[in-house]
Formats: sequence, C-alpha cells, structure tokens
Amino acid sequence: MARVFCGLSGGVDSALAAALLVERGHEVTAVYMRNWSRDLPGFRCPWADDLADAERVAVTLGIDLEVWDCEAEYRTTVVDYLVDAYAHGRTPNPDVMCNQTIKFGTFAERALERGADFVATGHYGRIVREGGRTLLLRARDERKDQTYFLWRVGEEALSRALLPVGEIADKAEVRRMCAERGLGVESKPDSDGICFVGPVGIRTFLLDELERRAGDVVEWETGRVLGHHDGAFLFTVGQRKGLDLGGGPARYVVSTDVENNVVYVTADRMSPALFTREIRLEDVRWISGEPPADGRYLVRTRHTGELREADLLGSVLRFDKPVRRVAPGQSAVLYDGLRCLGGGIVQAEEGRPPFRIEGGARCP
Amino acid sequence: MACVREAYLDYAAATPVDPAVAEAMLPYLTERFWNPSAPYARAREVRDDVERARGTVARLIGAQPDGIVFTAGATEANNLAFAAVDGHVVVDAIEHESVLACAGTHERRTVRVGTDGIVDPAAVARAIRPETELVSVELANGEIGAIQPVREISRLVAAERTRRLEAGERRPILLHSDASQAAGVLSVNVSSLGVDLLTLSAAKIYGPKQVGLLWASDEVRLRPLVYGGGQEAGVRSGTENVAGIVGFARALELACERRDEERRRLAGLRERLRAAIVGELPWAVVAGPRNAKRRLPGLLHVSFAGIEARRLVIALERVGVSVGTGSACAASRMRVSHVLDAVGMPRQLAEGSLRLTLGRGLDEGDVDYAAAAIVGAVRAEMARLGLDNATQEARVADLMGEWR
Repeated sequence: MARVFCGLSGGVDSALAAALLVERGHEVTAVYMRNWSRDLPGFRCPWADDLADAERVAVTLGIDLEVWDCEAEYRTTVVDYLVDAYAHGRTPNPDVMCNQTIKFGTFAERALERGADFVATGHYGRIVREGGRTLLLRARDERKDQTYFLWRVGEEALSRALLPVGEIADKAEVRRMCAERGLGVESKPDSDGICFVGPVGIRTFLLDELERRAGDVVEWETGRVLGHHDGAFLFTVGQRKGLDLGGGPARYVVSTDVENNVVYVTADRMSPALFTREIRLEDVRWISGEPPADGRYLVRTRHTGELREADLLGSVLRFDKPVRRVAPGQSAVLYDGLRCLGGGIVQAEEGRPPFRIEGGARCP
Repeated sequence: MACVREAYLDYAAATPVDPAVAEAMLPYLTERFWNPSAPYARAREVRDDVERARGTVARLIGAQPDGIVFTAGATEANNLAFAAVDGHVVVDAIEHESVLACAGTHERRTVRVGTDGIVDPAAVARAIRPETELVSVELANGEIGAIQPVREISRLVAAERTRRLEAGERRPILLHSDASQAAGVLSVNVSSLGVDLLTLSAAKIYGPKQVGLLWASDEVRLRPLVYGGGQEAGVRSGTENVAGIVGFARALELACERRDEERRRLAGLRERLRAAIVGELPWAVVAGPRNAKRRLPGLLHVSFAGIEARRLVIALERVGVSVGTGSACAASRMRVSHVLDAVGMPRQLAEGSLRLTLGRGLDEGDVDYAAAAIVGAVRAEMARLGLDNATQEARVADLMGEWR
C-alpha cells in the first residue's frame, strides 16, 4: 500500500484512475487542480461543474478531495507560453507544457512534499520499471495514447508516477468500468483540444489576448493578394479553415510571416511547399536524460497521428519520402518500438516564396 | 441511479407547482392564448382574467390592484424597487443577493445583523441619514430563517418621515421588504407590515418560476427598467405572462388558505427533524433565531463542524435526499455564503452547514428518512476522517466560544 495523490479533473479517465488505485488498496488523496477559471465570449469555463463532478467521484470512493489553486503557475508556464508562441508565428502544444510544469511539475512536487509515494493521473500511457530505470510506453489503447503530450516529463518524475488507465485496452471499457462503479461521470464527453478555449476555438482566445492586425493573404506561387486576415499569428501551416477569401477553391496555409503580417496560401493541395523530407528540432528533451544514438526511430508529429519511420541525425529528422510539413512550435516525439524516448519542438523553416526568388521565372 | 425513496428538503430553493395552480394555468397556455392587448372580445376576456388575478392578489395582500406590477420574478421586482430612488439606501447584510446587488449601485449603509441573523431596528434607525431614500429589509431570510422586525422598522421609518415633514425637508423615505421566502407561512398584508414596497415570488409558493410582483403604494413613483408597449401601466412593458399571473394568484390564494395549518405542520416536522439529528449527533449546531416566533417554521439550518457540506450533499443525493448548503449561487462560486459570513459563523461550521427546508410534499415518514440519511452521511464522513462524538463536542465547544 502506498500513499498516492491522484489528480481528479471531473472527467472519466481520472475518475477511473482514482477508483482503481483505491481498489488496489492504496491510500488515495484526490486533488482537483484549479488551473484556469476564465470565461471567454461564448464560452463559460466549466471549472465549477468539473469540480462538482470530481467531488462526486471522491465522495463515492470515500476519499479526500483537495482543491489546489495552480492558476498562477498555469498562467505563466502554459497560457503565457502559448500566447507568446502564437505571437511569434508558432503553433504550440499547451498540453505538453501543462504536463511538464503543472501535472508532473507543481502538482507532483507539492504531493511529494506532502508525503506522497506516488502521484497519479488519468493519462493514457504506461510506465514500466525495469533494472532501476523507468520507461514510458504507449498506452494499450493506441487510439487514445497520450504519450505525445508526455514527452517532456523526465524519468525522475515518471519514476514517482502511476497511470492506471494506460493499461486498459479501450476507452469504451473505461466508460463501462466507471459506470459499474457508479462514479457518475461515464457519459461525459471526451475533452480533446485546449481546455481553456473550449468549443469557441483558439481564434477567439487569441483575439482576446493579442491585438487584431489586418494583413494580406498572398498566393504562394504568384504573390497575388487574394484577401485579408486579422493577424498572421492566427494561422498555422496546413490550415484550410478560417481563410475568408470569398469563395474559389479551397486554399491551404503554406507559411505565415508574423513579422510582415503575411499569410501565404496555395490552392494546390500537393504543392511541394506543403511537404518536407526534413524536420529540424529545437529544445530537445529526452526522458532518460541521454540523447538516443543517431539512427532509425518512429516519429509522431501530432496527437495519435501516424507513426512514421525517420532517421535521427543529431537534432534533425530525415524521412524517406516527403511528409506534410509540420507547423513550427509543434512537438515531434520519438519512439523506439512502444517506448517513448522524448523529442523536440519543430523549428521554423527558412522557406521563401518562389515569386520572390530573384530572376526566378516560375514555369507552371 | 434509482433510489428506493426520495425526500426533497430544499423548498426554499424551489417549490413544485401545485396541481391546482397548474390546472388554473393550463387553459391560458393552450386555448386562451390571446394577447391581452388585442382588440377582439376573446382577448378582452383574457385581459379581464389578468385584472381579476391582480384583484385577487391585491385583496390577499391588503392593497389596491393598481399598485401591483407583475414581473418576471422577485429579482426583477427588487430591481424595480431600487430603481424608484436615486439617493442613499439602507439594507441589512443578509439580504438576498439581488437586493445587495441593487444596493451596490446606490450610496448605502449596510446594517449588521446579530449572530441569529435578526436585524436590530435600533441599528437601522442609526443607519438612516437625512438623505436616505429607501430602507430595504426582507420579511424572512431564506437561509437561516430569521424573521425580521419589519413592523418595528416601519415605525422608525415613519418617525423619520414625520421628522422630515416637520423640518420642512421634502425628501421622501420608503420602506421596501422582499417577502418572497415568507409568503407561504406569514401574513404579507402591506398595511399591517407598514411597507411602501413589497416583493413577492410565485416560485416559492408552489407557483411557476419567473413570475413575481412588486407592490408599490400610491406615494411611490416607479420607474421602468423594461421599455416597450407600455403594459403594467408603463412600468413593465412586454406582453403579460397571462398563465403565470393567473397561476400566481391561485398559488397565493392557496398559500393564504393553508397558511396557519401549514405553519403549525411545518414547525412540527422541523422539530422532529431537529430532534432526530441532534439526538444522534449532539454536537450539531442549529443556527438562526432560537425563539420559534422569530424564524421560518419549515427551515432548519444545521452545521456539522469539520465535515464538508458539499460532500454531504453528494452522499445524500445518492440516497434520494436533496438538501441545500448555504445559498445555491454562493455554493457554485466556492465561497461561504454572505449570510453565514454576516452572522459571524466560524468557517469550520459554515463549510459544514446544511440548509434544510420543508414543504407541502413532506410527511413524518419523509422527515424520518431524511434525518436518518443525514445522520448516516455525517457518521460516514466522521469514520473516514477518524472523528468521534467526543472530539466533535470539544471542537464545537471551541468554535462556539469564539462565536456566540
């Protein structure tokens, strides 16, 4: 029996995590981390409802629930980071930062100070302890695997963590197990996406934080101005929706230039500008603390996205065939089989629109 | 989860619509749907029905029909009352949030209440200044059940009025009372209360939600908050909520008919509930006025030191028992209610407070079931936290030492 502090969000996964820990005989204290409580136009932050659900779970399980106020840390390490990244033309993964600095940062540190042997969350991932090392593996349910968001959590923190739902083969089973235990949350919807922007989307949030700035939408191949936008920081590579170009063919964002406030687009879904064979990483982190040897690994560049083979050479990933370009600021996560090794942040490329190339007459 | 038995003990939050009220309302939703302002005879009939309802309500509160403005609930009525004045107002600290919020838009004095929640009329008299235009004190508090000395306050306001008259000061002073929580069990006769403005709600007396009224004496010039077609003598525009108004009148009729009997019955049930809880958990603290004449007969405010009321609510809902903790709005914002703050209740008690309010649908069996469920839920929490009656008694003795 161990003393476990389990994060309880009011959702299905953490509810089952707490229930399983209680059933295994651990002494469990549930903690609701209040990270954010701000409303947005058209979106009432549901933290109080989530807390009420968390309380319901805790009472059903007969365990303590504490509310920890993490708003200040969350604001600086997740929200400010997110806003700053967007302002610089990058598309960050706030969940990655939240896991690193809040759930396996502040929360874990405070729990350990309070005498916890372990901290637990409802993440889909598996922690394996062997030969004195702690490894992070993808969840048994590959469709829900969340190791993409856990790559910045170091081995030290993982060694004191438990992820009970990562062992369960599928989400339907998780819901069924919650229902069996009368936890009252089994029919809550999955909360994919950034929790603090809710259904209104990142655009509304960013326009609340950053100054609207009118600029041009420019065709990548020709330099022609096709329309206008409210700020290049609102757009991300590969984006198709939200370009108000008054009809015409679907267009894709090739790149954004936040300095000059220009959004480059193409109507050609197969445009070479949308593909790359190389991704450069910055701010790399490895779970074990040791960079892996150069060689072939599996790479994932979006949550539950395809696992592709690539060669790692220093901090560069090289693919055999061109792959769709990844927005700068996103995470690229490396795996050796099931094992999550860590990864890096995708760097901005120094791409120039073809029409600007001096003397470069472009042939169709 | 299906529960074997259910007991609803939150009548101060909402009452079910009485079947007789629903029956009175129904024709106006389906057959008699006409707009009271329309010119044809059938619509005129509906207008007459609204006026008949107004007359019924007026008779029941001892007033003239033309002083009554129907609103969408008590909150709007309170807003309308405060909109009638520009200057300084006096309120007590445990008023409903709608009154406190309205007072917040005026220059004001907030009068403190005693540990039992009762307003001291002398404190109101001290708070009244030469420029005070409105005093607002509810007839009964819905959280700890204090019945306020409105009639005595009325005499003080009248004295100030006389003083101004003799001094040649022209500024009027009005007395408003929100009687929403009281109408089911207390007389709401405006002349015996001596008020100039009175708020009532249908939703607390087994009528529909979003229906209320403000009565104002002839002396008061109401100013509209909602402009439009000029209904309700121009004070509250918008097509009349005919079904709601008819239902309100019927609900108030029933409340008045049953008032004396219901008051006695609820007082008996409340005592039964109190005795059952305190008998098992002698360290439970009952708040509010001790004198039965000064508190709502069907309200029991009970605090379990060191036990989280929010957890009790969840444990109780699992066995079909619905109870309140402080006031609902305050609970969702994770704050101790302003009422418990104002009576100075220590936080450990406030956070362990249940507000149990009884009503027509409950009998002795329900109350016994609820009491057993509450005692069971508290005991389960005590076991989880490793507490026993002896430690709780010591804890409460300490807390009471710093409070009452």
